[in-house]
Amino acid sequence: MPKIEPMILAVPKGRILKELLPLMKAAGIEPEASFFDDKCRQLRFATNVDYLELIRVRSFDVPTFVAFGAAHLGVAGSDVVMEFDYPEIYAPVDLKIGHCRMSVAAPKTLLRTEDPAQWSHIRVATKYPKITQRHFAARGVQAECIKLNGAMELAPNLGLCRRIVDLVSSGATLEANGLAEVEKIAEVSSRFVVNRAALKTRPSEINHWIRSFQEAVNAA
Amino acid sequence: MKKNGDKALLPAGLQDLLMPAAAHEAEVVRRLIDCFSSEGYDRIKPPLLEFENALLSGAGETLSNQIFRLMDPTSHRMMGLRADITPQVARIAATRLQKASRPLRLCYGGDVLQVTGSQLRPERQFTQVGGELIGVTSDAADAEVIVAAACALENVGVKDLSVDINLPTLVPAIATDLSLEADLARDLRVALDRKDAAEVELLAGKHATLFLNLLHAAGTAEEILAFAKTLDLPGTARKEVERLVAVVELVRVQAPKLTVTLDLVEHRGFEYHTGISFIFFAKGVRGELGRGGRYNSVSVDNVVEPATGFTLFMDTVLRALPKPKIARRIFLPFGTRREEGGAFRAQGWVTISGLEPVKDDRAEALRLSCSHLLEGGHIHELGTN
Repeated sequence: MPKIEPMILAVPKGRILKELLPLMKAAGIEPEASFFDDKCRQLRFATNVDYLELIRVRSFDVPTFVAFGAAHLGVAGSDVVMEFDYPEIYAPVDLKIGHCRMSVAAPKTLLRTEDPAQWSHIRVATKYPKITQRHFAARGVQAECIKLNGAMELAPNLGLCRRIVDLVSSGATLEANGLAEVEKIAEVSSRFVVNRAALKTRPSEINHWIRSFQEAVNAA
Repeated sequence: MKKNGDKALLPAGLQDLLMPAAAHEAEVVRRLIDCFSSEGYDRIKPPLLEFENALLSGAGETLSNQIFRLMDPTSHRMMGLRADITPQVARIAATRLQKASRPLRLCYGGDVLQVTGSQLRPERQFTQVGGELIGVTSDAADAEVIVAAACALENVGVKDLSVDINLPTLVPAIATDLSLEADLARDLRVALDRKDAAEVELLAGKHATLFLNLLHAAGTAEEILAFAKTLDLPGTARKEVERLVAVVELVRVQAPKLTVTLDLVEHRGFEYHTGISFIFFAKGVRGELGRGGRYNSVSVDNVVEPATGFTLFMDTVLRALPKPKIARRIFLPFGTRREEGGAFRAQGWVTISGLEPVKDDRAEALRLSCSHLLEGGHIHELGTN
């Protein structure tokens, strides 16, 4: 049998990884030991599958690695996939982990004095400027986005702007900062993503992993 | 360089093609066109600019926001710079070549300019080489354009070429047969374009299984053909699939070594297509080498004619090719007779003539990137350093 060309799976650092590992195992991927060593500075890891390597990158970078074909496979939240909206990425499996929702939030006091139907221009702090713009443009509102990389909840309280678009899971952080959820933009979960050209040029191998992850999800 | 930065900076997506890339591109374009000409595709050359309404009719409809526009000071009409050559060829076929016998085979090569590049393919100006087969609807015509383009690409040296054959009309046909609402059908179309399983499941409701099966119907020809035959499809959709099966089989007979994959829902960029479409990829090469498919050629005065064709994108094609071989360059010291140089050129050498006597011909030859030196009537090969 001819040797299979190398293939790379990009996985996100952080909280999703814990939920992801059991699924990877069920799909037949077990990383080398150093992958679990937090002190290890290594960025690429071997797996039990001889042609498959793992890279661990920031969750916002997974779609970029996959879209450009630097990684063939990846795991990314639907929030980041949607934000970049690369035409070169397919998201054929919903891994059903990392559930939360993306919502618009504002101070409770604001909601009492304003009618959102009258907005024509608003300012929003968010990590997701493109999704935010698209969301508001669809209803005729121009959204001026202030890109922040974290601690969005601070923005309304310190007068940076009055609205935010952020991920919400329990709503406790919003509550603690005197904010309320105004509306939901989308449900979020992690997706197994593949590079489009890789699927077209190496269909058997890529389809094998799509099926393996789908079966792992079905069995979970 | 820093001082000249301002002068050197080009607008986004535009670049100077230098040596040896420019010569390489011209050479590859020529060889591709030779291939198409030898199969009876006659070369034509439409202009860079046209009146906007002609550029945007029929096949050009979807390109409206990719076109640079300018006002014609003489006629006071709006003109557009071509963003794609296919609509121009369709226009020529429907007007000036209306009386030429069908099937009409035409080919072309030229630059196009688009308003925006994509993140993955930032070029706004690039060269297209393509061919169109106008006036026939047969399966044989669909197969011919796929095989002709594939052969030409392999002929210029593209390795690990594969063609993904698509049926962009299938999902709309199914949506119509199931009488899905237009909005829902459009959202579903977008979700299928992204192969976003979660979104498709959500939107398709009771038809989820069918659409998820279609979403996963991307893979090797054997696999997907077997799958397509099991699909229980209503009227129009079934006919579409039957045509696909027939064309794929023709392609596999005519080009048995070509890797063929199928994707039943691929649709992006096929907005104006009315039947079997296809995209060329090469393993390990980012982006598409070319694409094409069946469309209706509609002229300005609404003459409709069936057509199919392909367009190759030279920037990606060149990325898929090995670096060009550097020509043998020989330095002819000052005073070499012109006929002597001519003899070398006739044998395929590139000659660099010294314009004045120099102390060290060898050093001069190296300075001018020559691989050889003519010294006392003999050819000397020079070391690379």
